[in-house]
Amino acid sequence: MNIALINGSPKLKKSNSAIMLGMLEPLIRTGHEITTYHPNKKPLTPEQYSELCRMDVLVIAFPLYVDGIPSHLFRMLVALEEYMKAEREGDIYVYALINNGFFEGQQNHLALEIIQNWCSRCGLHFGQGLGQGAGEMMGFLAKVPVGRGPLKNLGRAMQGLAGNIHSRSVDESMLFNPNFPRFAWKFTATHSFWNATAKKNGLKKKDILRRL
Amino acid sequence: MKMIFHDLGQHEYAAWVEAPQEEVTVISDNGTIRHCTGCFGCWVRTPGVCVLKDGYHNMGELLSKCDELVIISKCEYGSYSPFILNVLNRSISYVLPYFSTQSGETHHRKRYDHQFALSVHFYGEDLTEAEMETARKLVAANSVNLYSIGNNVYFHNSLQAVKEVLA
Repeated sequence: MNIALINGSPKLKKSNSAIMLGMLEPLIRTGHEITTYHPNKKPLTPEQYSELCRMDVLVIAFPLYVDGIPSHLFRMLVALEEYMKAEREGDIYVYALINNGFFEGQQNHLALEIIQNWCSRCGLHFGQGLGQGAGEMMGFLAKVPVGRGPLKNLGRAMQGLAGNIHSRSVDESMLFNPNFPRFAWKFTATHSFWNATAKKNGLKKKDILRRL
Repeated sequence: MKMIFHDLGQHEYAAWVEAPQEEVTVISDNGTIRHCTGCFGCWVRTPGVCVLKDGYHNMGELLSKCDELVIISKCEYGSYSPFILNVLNRSISYVLPYFSTQSGETHHRKRYDHQFALSVHFYGEDLTEAEMETARKLVAANSVNLYSIGNNVYFHNSLQAVKEVLA
């Protein structure tokens, strides 16, 4: 099969979407041709849009933005709809990998609905979506094996997703939290991430709180 | 102050309005907007202001001075159009990076002691029930995250219909 991995993160360097795609790729690599796309760096070319119309599977990974899809990725999806209507010949299955900054993976449900609605407009099959809460944690868990510790839920879901991609199956979407206490996540996010990053930029907490 | 975000062509919108209205700030697509790059600069480098200086960098501050926000957007798959999404993505400095928990869900804390009324006018010729339902839920979720005073969602089958309501 031809599988497209679309990294829909707006970040130019390290992204949680890239981490999630990196977890999935080894599970689906065998026997399939995999091509990765990065619409954040520059818009896709007409040739790339046409390639996507000839895929068997699209995996779209992105962070939740304002309860929905990041605008640059959404712009690509709008353009891709026209290509799909004009050029698609075979069945294409779409899978989504979403991560959100809030703790609850459930908050990804609207972005999933939007992807499902997009599939309906394009005539594509929506296969399954995964939604990981507290996505920013993933960048700090590089040494934790997938399926262990805070990534336990994600590991299990990722195995299921890989199986569904192999067989081009439709399955129930899964939205989940990290296997980590919420209070500890909130404390760490506040002190070790937001305040620590601001401090590196020469700012204090009162600066973060400023009003204009 | 009232704010209007719209995704119409600038000339098209200008034809709607007979004279520029004072106390109304209109945010439209002048072709220069850049997409949010997820750098968190508006929270931890230049708090309250986006680091991308393209004329859309002060959306959070503008929202803090707005009493009523009206959004006019094409409805695409139950979402806003790309330009309106872009503006909303660039508006996150309106809230703080810190988290609060409300009704068991995490949200960002308020930066300002301020609230605005939110109305969204979606247009589109053949919107499905599923798309309209998603759009209603999306606006409701945005309303919670932006601390708006409630929200109103309207659907119109043409731009002309939006004009008749708003002009």
